[in-house]
Amino acid sequence: MSKVKNLYSTWFGNYWSPYLVMVMAGILSAVYFGITHTVWAVTGEFTRLGGHLLEFVGMDVSGWAYFDLVHMNGTTWTRTDGWIVWGMFIGALITILLSGNFKIRMPRQKRRYVQGFAGGIIAGFGARLALGCNLAAFFTGVPQFSLHAWIFIVATGAGTFLGAKLVNTRWWKGKPVLKKGGSLQSVKQGKNRQPIFGAVLGLAYLALIVCFYATGRTMLGTAALFGAAFGILIERGQICFTSAFRDLWISGRATMTKAITLGMAVSSVVTLVIILVYGLEPITKITAPSTLIGGLLFGLGIVMAGGCETGMMYRLMEGQVVFLPVFIGNIVGATALAYAWDHMGVYNLLVKSGSPVNLITAMGPAAALMVTLLVLGVGFAVAAYWQKNYRFGVGFKKGDATHVR
Amino acid sequence: MSVDFTLDLRGESCPYPVIYTLETLRDMKKGQTLQVISDCPSAFRNVPEEVVKHGYTMAQEPVKNGQEFSLFIQA
Repeated sequence: MSKVKNLYSTWFGNYWSPYLVMVMAGILSAVYFGITHTVWAVTGEFTRLGGHLLEFVGMDVSGWAYFDLVHMNGTTWTRTDGWIVWGMFIGALITILLSGNFKIRMPRQKRRYVQGFAGGIIAGFGARLALGCNLAAFFTGVPQFSLHAWIFIVATGAGTFLGAKLVNTRWWKGKPVLKKGGSLQSVKQGKNRQPIFGAVLGLAYLALIVCFYATGRTMLGTAALFGAAFGILIERGQICFTSAFRDLWISGRATMTKAITLGMAVSSVVTLVIILVYGLEPITKITAPSTLIGGLLFGLGIVMAGGCETGMMYRLMEGQVVFLPVFIGNIVGATALAYAWDHMGVYNLLVKSGSPVNLITAMGPAAALMVTLLVLGVGFAVAAYWQKNYRFGVGFKKGDATHVR
Repeated sequence: MSVDFTLDLRGESCPYPVIYTLETLRDMKKGQTLQVISDCPSAFRNVPEEVVKHGYTMAQEPVKNGQEFSLFIQA
């Protein structure tokens, strides 16, 4: 019995290595592409949810070009992209409950709700302007050898720099409560029942996946299964794409940066193998001025909100209430972009001039992989150097932030 | 162990636990101890990592209490 307990606490008492998690996510996302010919992505579905909401309140969105672009067929329950999103929410919730870590967490600084909502709108708008968030235009965009992903990454980096400057201002961050002396926490009594709920939810969800397969809806079953796997992985690894950029500017932490870079490298190799073996077309998005501006807005928005469209999902399931306005903001922002796309000339101004560029078509598969791995390798090395030498408040300057040594 | 200051950060999400902790430590005297109470799951990992990287020491193992935890840091 104690062996079982030990095993349980290894898996659910501690978080998993972010490196291991991102390598697994990289492999799984490549396999998911091989099976469904679509990539792991979330914000496209957020846009469709916004469209359905507009339809629900009686608006006719059939003429909106952006909704044509993302295909509004069926409902969120009959789309693979829908089940990726719900699977991620449910998968994350299952492991959060199994580890007994659900708690309603309310920020003491009430301004966080407004900041989260504003950041959510900007991030949602920016992500859809660039035709994808940190997944399709980043974690699953780079392994598709789509050039737009690289432009998006650089622009996101610049946006997070502005965001980090903003959240570090006194009026934005607010002051914490600092008390003199120690503080004894009252030890909580009673057994935590959350793991039982987690197990029940897990079994019910498994039954649903089996049901999808049994009734011939194989793709929905696959999406539900992979969605849950992605949700479990990002929750257990506490994967944060926002942190991968923002923390470089704040305290020089690069753990997430390195883990995500490693995951993209592994995913690039596996994806290329799948593309070549099965003769698939890589998914290439338009590279245009919109990619740059979208990335910039996305970077700024995710730092303001404290999380991107992906990280927001498991944090909301943990009970972090501040991510509810972020989620709503994401959908509002994505829907606003869908409106502005044709009604306000965004497409003509920023997108029309661009075209999809894929590295495989441009330079052949071998060179595309080499260049991708080389750039990722350089990125990893820079992140490692950054982590070692960048300090809170002083950056790369010699001398210490602390008065101590 | 005597604790000189307590920072109660329950409810705060990233990056504020790291920012608040490093700012508070910067203003403390060497050898003083700070207790940080948090319920942000990511902070359980990133606050100790950043504190040690910036030249402070963890005075003892973190104390877990349900979904909350306390970190003890020596400036």
